[in-house]
Amino acid sequence: MEDSETLEIYKFPQAKYIDALRWFSPLSAFSKFVVLALHDSDSDISTIEIKTLNLSNQSKPFLQLHSSWTSPSRVSSLRVSQTPHKPILSASTFDGSLHFLFAHPVEVSLDSEISVGEKGFHIGPISGIDLFGNNGVECVSVGEDGRVNLVSLGGDSKASYRQVFDSQGLVSYTAVKWASPTEFVTGGLGDSLQWWDLRKPGGVVSQFKGSWAHGNTSGIVHSIDIHPSRKHVCVAGGSSGAVFAWDLRRQQQQILLSGSGHGEAKPHSFSESEIWEVQYDCYTPSSDIGNTSSAQILPVMTCSEDGILAIVEKDVEPEQILAEPCAVNSFDINLQNPSDVICSLEWESVAYLSRQ
Amino acid sequence: MPGRLSDSGMFIIPTPPDSVRTSDSGNSLIPYSPEVRDPVIYNLHHGLKPPISRLSISWSRGNCLRVSFFRVDSTETDTSYVEGEVGGKVVEVKLNVEDGEIGDAERRRIAYGSVAPYAHLQGQKNTVSALSKMSMSSSSYYVEWWQHVIEYSKEINSLLGNPEPPPSSLIEDPKTVLKVVEEPTCLKAAWELMEIFYADKRPQAWLPERLVDWLRDFDSLLTDTEATVHSKLVNLQKEIVNLQVVEDDFNYWEGISSALAVGWLDIVVKLLRLHGSYQLDQLGDRETENGLVEAVAVLVTKMPRLRSESSDRRLGECFETRPEFMKAWEKWRGQVAKLESSAYWVQCDHRQTRESLRKVLQIMLGNVNSLITSACHWMELFIAKFLYVRPFTTGLEGMYSLAKKCMELKPASSTQRLMGLILGILEENTEVVLAECSKSFGPWMVAHVMELLTAGNNQAEMLLHEERHNLGGISIEELHRLVYAQVLSSHALTWQIAPVYLISCPKQGLGMLEILLYKQPMQHNHTLLKNLEICRLYELSGISSNLMKIAGVYHWKHGRKGSGVFWLQQAQDEARLNRIAQELFDFVGKSISDDSFKQWEGLIELLGNETRTAGGLEFLHKYRDFKKSLQQVKGGNVTDVAQQAVESLIMIMKNPSTPQRFWLPLMHDSLKLLTWPERPLLNVSQTNLLLNKLQELSIAKLCPDYCETDLPSQALSSVRLALATNLGRAILEE
Repeated sequence: MEDSETLEIYKFPQAKYIDALRWFSPLSAFSKFVVLALHDSDSDISTIEIKTLNLSNQSKPFLQLHSSWTSPSRVSSLRVSQTPHKPILSASTFDGSLHFLFAHPVEVSLDSEISVGEKGFHIGPISGIDLFGNNGVECVSVGEDGRVNLVSLGGDSKASYRQVFDSQGLVSYTAVKWASPTEFVTGGLGDSLQWWDLRKPGGVVSQFKGSWAHGNTSGIVHSIDIHPSRKHVCVAGGSSGAVFAWDLRRQQQQILLSGSGHGEAKPHSFSESEIWEVQYDCYTPSSDIGNTSSAQILPVMTCSEDGILAIVEKDVEPEQILAEPCAVNSFDINLQNPSDVICSLEWESVAYLSRQ
Repeated sequence: MPGRLSDSGMFIIPTPPDSVRTSDSGNSLIPYSPEVRDPVIYNLHHGLKPPISRLSISWSRGNCLRVSFFRVDSTETDTSYVEGEVGGKVVEVKLNVEDGEIGDAERRRIAYGSVAPYAHLQGQKNTVSALSKMSMSSSSYYVEWWQHVIEYSKEINSLLGNPEPPPSSLIEDPKTVLKVVEEPTCLKAAWELMEIFYADKRPQAWLPERLVDWLRDFDSLLTDTEATVHSKLVNLQKEIVNLQVVEDDFNYWEGISSALAVGWLDIVVKLLRLHGSYQLDQLGDRETENGLVEAVAVLVTKMPRLRSESSDRRLGECFETRPEFMKAWEKWRGQVAKLESSAYWVQCDHRQTRESLRKVLQIMLGNVNSLITSACHWMELFIAKFLYVRPFTTGLEGMYSLAKKCMELKPASSTQRLMGLILGILEENTEVVLAECSKSFGPWMVAHVMELLTAGNNQAEMLLHEERHNLGGISIEELHRLVYAQVLSSHALTWQIAPVYLISCPKQGLGMLEILLYKQPMQHNHTLLKNLEICRLYELSGISSNLMKIAGVYHWKHGRKGSGVFWLQQAQDEARLNRIAQELFDFVGKSISDDSFKQWEGLIELLGNETRTAGGLEFLHKYRDFKKSLQQVKGGNVTDVAQQAVESLIMIMKNPSTPQRFWLPLMHDSLKLLTWPERPLLNVSQTNLLLNKLQELSIAKLCPDYCETDLPSQALSSVRLALATNLGRAILEE
């Protein structure tokens, strides 16, 4: 709660719809960079833009365009590889193509681009991607078409993909997150999560279906996060304000951090609408410091359709950081400086929050 | 719409600039100017080879026109048909009716920003009306109410641009008389005007001074072509930097009297202090002259003003109440008159200074001719008259006739859109005000300004809230909200704020909201979920279940079976689930072998095991369970496990939702169970059940719609044999 006293919020109108946004941390550490995937509804042009966040003392902070790239279709998911010497942006589109953009580590200009988008890669929109890797980059992509693909970016800057699974539309996937170099988790309809292991091909290794919802309704998982130090626990956000965790070692146990659950374990709830994104918040200290067991779930930041950016922790009243009259569609915590958060607002603007 | 094809493969649409026109001007509520301006011509390049056989024109989103060109039908002219040539083309034309002052993105920013204040005010309105129904003391609510309205108005106003003054440097250049600020917009000027006259319920006696402030902010907007006090001062500012002896310059004195006439006292004082007689080397020679200049400057700073004390002191001496002000005014006028008749004027050697200063004093004394020559625009003269001729005016009394008189004295060659609004306000004619707002500033303005118009004005409230037969039973207020909501709905980014306005329309709002929600594209889950969120907020569960059905069918048709099932399940649409179940079973019959359940696993998991949610699809779940237990049986020959498998087989066979075409495959798969070596697993009645099913199958075979399975031909007979054997053993056992 002390954080809120020193919270500074700045908004930057973009005059374009923001499809996705990420912090970007190349070598030049003097300035802060943000990557935005923008869509201009009048001209129907989608761009990916790198912008500098100017934080001088003389004037109000502002975003300045640094370099940009025009995307063939609207961006559905945006990821950034966190290796400073070789910054890579990766964007998937609603047309089912995947693009890798290579940025110059010092000048932060977008130098070259590789696309994957041949027939048979994905049918229809790619709903989620995630990057992993240090030398070569591995990108896993999932779509509503039920395909799970693995794209490898070799040292020779060539991309090749292989299909991990194809459910032929019987199952749709809506989110994906790497857990280790060989394991990843996908999310889908019916508040479901699937655990995959590349060493065990042919299908999911394990799956989970949430059943806290009232009556016959259930939801869609929109975002998943896995803490690097607790790979067996993943947190996910979905419909009806549900933020939940799945512990692989206690597979049948439902851990609802927030949402309108029923039964004996009624969690705190701050929203009843879609939770668009979840990320572990390493800036907020856990309220339960004494408990260092690996079953503990660390604080998670979430954003929702009803305009709330909040920190959620198990059995703790959610802490609201931002309450907007419009949806908060996505956000990102700066890994280099976790007190910095940016989020995209439905009404064509970006908000920057500094928790000092 | 008339259109013609030009020879060069282009299509030309001439349109009148006013895209909205009413044909029966007699009945129209909002008068549209009948003036016909030059048609706007749009050139479209379709790039098709002639001949073009057909044209189709329709509205796309917003003010986009969609023109489709079709070449000659290829079936008719097979001979001329060339492979690879396009048969038609669709071109979208954006018809630009923007006024150019505010861009699209800026307009959207204003639209977004006004949602919260608007919704907040509507909420307060509901609370206040609920409270006033309970207790009858409406007067206290009335007082409170205009405070809410003024708060709302201020919030909206802040959206329309706040020209921030450039950071003031520590050392101020004395020659900077007029600070350059960002050009204000007409929209903001109009809003502030409405706020002054309708929302601001501070003492009526302050009204003229509020107009003085308004003019100070927006004087530059009064006319584009003619001079204003502002444009005069801008020119003077450019000139003054290079002038050595300002007092010899005609424009310098012109600037002083013009600024004084409209009450910009600080500028007057600043200009006066630039007078050459203030220079140290001249002070000795021009002592009297300097004394006179300073005396005028002091009188200007001491000018009494009837306004709130809270404003900054650069405007003279402020008095909040009339009696105080009147006393001070008489005293000040006396001082001015005294200076005017002073003997010192004779001793002033500088002719221009002497004459011009006396002219300045004439303005302060309210000499009408001096005011007329000093003001440029009629609005400026109007303001000058309040300041110096009728300082005790209260409220709107006589304002309209005064304005008319000023207009005669200073006729404007071009009509500015603000002027119509000002006249309407002064005339106290709500209809004209509304029409001017609509004509000049668009639907956003009208929808939002309505709250100001009705704030505490009973007559306007009646006019705007009365339900009108010629509007289909809705009020003018609702009509304009609906119009604005339509504008919002026509854009891909603003449609989602339209519900806020629709929901405040008591008669037709919900119907329009329903149409709006049904019109949104379903392709992306994002849009659908945002749609459903709106349904949730406004408790439109019927619409939301329909939307889910539409989405379900859409996904199903596009091969995303899982998504289709999911949305139909959410919508609890059992009829459609049962329908698609049949299709799924076809798919299952072909694709499920013993080990390919992996693909189905996710879908079966999604279906859950509740019958209600899955419709006929629950069979899939049972089928999977049965297959699983069969697999276990194959793993080891444990009788208990096999017995369980038999139980689930019987369950499936008993269940009416099990499709007939699965009966034989199911029994064929369980041959091993039927011929269990240790003991018969099925008792007599169970065996009879299966035999009956077999019998039914043989009858069904004669029906035309019987589905043949791809089992080996002897499958039926081997099942029959196994059942017969089992029956025999079971009878013996019992």
